[in-house]
Amino acid sequence: MHETTLMQNLIATVMEAVEKHNVTRVNRVVLSVGKLSNALPDALIFAFEALTQGGILQGAELEIEYLPVIARCRACGREYQADGFPIICPDCESKNFTIISGDEVYIKSIDIDCKKE
Amino acid sequence: MARLDIKQDLKALNNAIAAENREKFASHNIYVINVMGSPGAGKTTFLENILPELSKHIQVVMIEGDLATRNDALRIEKTGVTALQINTNGGCHLDAKMIENQIQKLNLNSIDLIIIENVGNLVCPASFDLGEDMRMVIVSVAEGEDKPIKYPIAFLEANMVVITKTDLLPYLDVDINVMKKYIADINPEAAVFETTKKDGVYKADEVVEYILEQVRKKKGK
Repeated sequence: MHETTLMQNLIATVMEAVEKHNVTRVNRVVLSVGKLSNALPDALIFAFEALTQGGILQGAELEIEYLPVIARCRACGREYQADGFPIICPDCESKNFTIISGDEVYIKSIDIDCKKE
Repeated sequence: MARLDIKQDLKALNNAIAAENREKFASHNIYVINVMGSPGAGKTTFLENILPELSKHIQVVMIEGDLATRNDALRIEKTGVTALQINTNGGCHLDAKMIENQIQKLNLNSIDLIIIENVGNLVCPASFDLGEDMRMVIVSVAEGEDKPIKYPIAFLEANMVVITKTDLLPYLDVDINVMKKYIADINPEAAVFETTKKDGVYKADEVVEYILEQVRKKKGK
């Protein structure tokens, strides 16, 4: 459900860029989604399509790239990719860690057509 | 066609407001707890029972999140504690802006502890920082011992887990030690407590002590 909130923020951010750059059409929005973000791709796409009806973003493709979860072991300091739960250091097997990345949701880029000057 | 790099974090707005809330709480030495759990986990019952004890020692205010009703706030007010109600009108989580709006109504100088009861949901609330010091997850034994591994993100970010309704264990096919092992697997640093109701008496003394200790630690700084 909070995917709708994320997509509202996405549309507001893209619309700022659209206004700033005289954009005539948005072809694609590339979104980076961390695997720990609790954001479901199907729900993101559904919300994006529903919220962009009738506007300049209608018909734009939402491309989702996944970001792995990177943790740093608090026992031995190693940084490692965590592929599931529980998260365990592959070197020292400690379960104490700090998440470095993997919970973010951000717009990476947009592909646009602009008005010719 | 051109490609425009944006690199804009979609949670940035919420995180920025959460940081402001956190600063405001810190400047008034207020400790803040964000309580999460499934519908029916026993969040409000737990709070109703610990609030009278906490209130003997410190000044507490509750912020209640609920989709549609004021039921929980009314229950809390019967304990004598002020409860502000947020209705999300179907929204699945509280966000930092909603908290900012509520704290404007409070005289922060006279408060030691704010407890925020999030919307009953173990998924979405975990993704929204409110500016709290502590994340508390409430889970009842009746939900099944595997709840922590089914909803790992909520448990991953919890500082404290309270396992409720342990008096039901004789009637359930649930092993509380397995539940605790799952919690420790995901988050070995979380402080884990149990509550129980026996002969009509709700027992949560250790939790109350632990919370008071955290509040005093922040005050002491």
